[in-house]
Amino acid sequence: MFADGLFILFTVFAVVGAAGLVLFKHPMNGAMSFVVTLIALAGLYALLNAKLIFAIQLIVYAGAIMSLIIFIIMFLNIQEEDLPAEEGRFKYLIGGVIVVAPVGMLLTKAVNSLPGSEATIAGAGFGGVKEVGVKLFTEWLLPFEIVSILLLVSLVGAVVLAGKRGTNK
Amino acid sequence: MTNDFMLLMPLIITGVGAIALMLIAAYDKVTIEQASMASMGVFGLAFLVQLSNTIGTAVVPYDTVFNGMLVISNFTKVAGLIILACGFFTSMSAHSYFKQNNFCTTEFYSLVAFSACGMLLLTMSQELISVFISLEIMSLAIYILVGYDRQNKRAAEAVMKYLMLGAFAGAFLTMGTALVYGGVGSTKFALIGQAVAANGFFTNPALVCGAFFILVAFLFKVAAFPFHAWVIDVYDGAAAPVTGYMATGLKTAVFAVFANFLVVDETMRAGWVNYLFYLSILTMFVGNLIAIGQTSLKRMLAASGIVHTGYLLIALVAVSSEHFSGSVILYYLGAYSVGTLGIFAALSYLGGANEKRQTFDDFKGLARVRPYSAAAIAIFLLSMAGIPPTAGFMGKLYIITSAISAGQVALAVFGIISSILSMWYYLRLIINMYFHEAVEGFEDTADFKFAPACTFILVVCVFAISLYPIAV
Repeated sequence: MFADGLFILFTVFAVVGAAGLVLFKHPMNGAMSFVVTLIALAGLYALLNAKLIFAIQLIVYAGAIMSLIIFIIMFLNIQEEDLPAEEGRFKYLIGGVIVVAPVGMLLTKAVNSLPGSEATIAGAGFGGVKEVGVKLFTEWLLPFEIVSILLLVSLVGAVVLAGKRGTNK
Repeated sequence: MTNDFMLLMPLIITGVGAIALMLIAAYDKVTIEQASMASMGVFGLAFLVQLSNTIGTAVVPYDTVFNGMLVISNFTKVAGLIILACGFFTSMSAHSYFKQNNFCTTEFYSLVAFSACGMLLLTMSQELISVFISLEIMSLAIYILVGYDRQNKRAAEAVMKYLMLGAFAGAFLTMGTALVYGGVGSTKFALIGQAVAANGFFTNPALVCGAFFILVAFLFKVAAFPFHAWVIDVYDGAAAPVTGYMATGLKTAVFAVFANFLVVDETMRAGWVNYLFYLSILTMFVGNLIAIGQTSLKRMLAASGIVHTGYLLIALVAVSSEHFSGSVILYYLGAYSVGTLGIFAALSYLGGANEKRQTFDDFKGLARVRPYSAAAIAIFLLSMAGIPPTAGFMGKLYIITSAISAGQVALAVFGIISSILSMWYYLRLIINMYFHEAVEGFEDTADFKFAPACTFILVVCVFAISLYPIAV
C-alpha cells in the first residue's frame, strides 16, 4: 500500500519534471526541472529493487551529467534577452499533441497489456551488483563489448569536431 | 567445417584497422594520403577475407560466449561484401577529393572504418540491444563525417538536422525494444519468432506496438516516406565521398537488419506487408516529385535515393520468411551502390575546389572536355534509371519479377511507372553533358589518379554485376 503511494508520487514528479523541461523558457529552469525527473526515476528504480541502477542513476545522471549540463549553461550566462521570442508556441504545442495523440493511445494499449506485478520475471537477488555483473558478463557480453567501440567513436568525434585542428598535411 | 573466428575476421580486421588508423593519426609524419592508402588496404583485406569465407547454412559464431546474438549467413556475407566495397571506394575517392578541399585530417579514415564496423555488426546482429548499439556506432561515425568541415555552414546545418532526427529515431528503437521485451520476454530475434509462432502476433499489443516503433526507426534510417525530409539537406551538406558512403553503405546495413527483423516470423511479416505496400508506392512517387524539381546534382541524387528506397521496400514486401535468401534485395543494393558510388567518385574529382560545381548547368558540355568521365557518369545514370544491359536494369527486373511472383502485381506496375518517371532527371544530366557546348574547360580536374581509377573500376562493375545470375 505504502509502495503504491510512493509509486504514484514518483510518477507524478517524473512527469511534472519532464513537462517542465519542455515548457520552461529559460534553459536553466529546464535543466533544474529535468533533475527532478531523474531523481524521481531513481526512486522508481529503487521501488523495483534495482539497487545498482538506482545508485548509477543518482551518481551518474542526476549527479555527474546534470551538474555538467548546468555548469555549461551557467558558463554561457544566458540572459532573458538572449532567448528567442517563440511566438505561437502553444499553437505548435496543441498541434503536436493532436498529431502524437494516436501514438499515445497505441502506447496506452500496449502498456496496459504488459504483465503486472503478479508476474515474476526476476530471480532472487535481482538488481544487485553481483547479479547484474554476472548477467552482463555471461549473457550480455557482446553488447557490453561493442559499447566500447561506440565510446571510442564518440571520443574520436569529440576530438575531431571540437578539438584544435593542426595545419593540413 | 566452419571456423567462427574466420567468419568474424572481416569485422575484426575493420575494427583493428579503425583503431590503428586512430592511433597513427596522432603522428605528424603520417599524411592524409598515406592514411587513405592504409584505409584502402584495411577494406581490401577485409573484403578478400569475407569473400573467401564459405557459409552453408546460417552459423551462430561463439554461440555460448555471445549467447547467440550474432548470426552469419550468406545474406550477411554478401551484405558485408557490399559494405566493405563501399568503404574501399569511399577511401579511394576521398583521396582525390581532399586534394581540392582542405579540411581533412587523418581521423577521417578511422571514422570511415569505425562506421563500417557498425554496419557489419548491424547486418549480423540478431538481438535488439546489439542492433541498437551497432546502429548507433554507425550513425555516430556518420554524423561526425557529415559535419567534418567545420567552416562550412551547410555542413553544420546538415549535421545538426541529422543528429537531432537521428536521436529521435534511436529513441523510437529503444522504446520499441523495451515494449517487445515486455511483450515477449526476450530481445532475441529467434525467441521473438518462437513467441509469435506460439501465441500469435496481433494478440499481443505490446509486441505490435514495439515492432511498429522499431520499423519507424528503420524507415527513418533508410529515408522512406514519411521520414524522408531530412535526407536532401543532409546529403547536400556532406562532402561528396561521405554522401556516397551514406547513400550506399548505410542503406545496405539498415536494409539487411530490416529484412532480418521482418522475416522473424511469417505472421509478423504478413501483418506489416499492407502498410509497407502503401509506403513503398508513396516513397517512390514522393522521391520522384522531389527529384524532378532539383537543380543541384547532389540534391537530385539524394531524392533519387528516396526512390531507390521505394524499390527496395517492394523487394521487402515480396520476401517470404519460409525460405528467405534476400538475394533480390542484396542484388539491388549492390547494383544501386555501384552506380551511386560511381557518381559520387566522379563528383569527388569533377566538383572542383570547395565543390564549386553543383548544379546541372555546371556540367554542361562535360563530354567535349572530359569524354571518358562523361561516359562513365552516363553509364552510372543509365544503370540507376534501369536501362539494359546495366546492373540497375537487372536489379529492377529481379525486384519486379519477385513482386509479381509474390502476387503483388500492382506494386510491379507502380515500380515500372516510377522507373519511367525517373528517366526525366537522369537523362537531364546526360543531355546537359552531351548536347551543350562546353562553358568551361574543367582544367582543375586533370591531375588525379585515385578517384578516376575508382570511377572506371565501378563502370566495369556495373556491367560485371549485370552478368551475375541469382536465383529469385
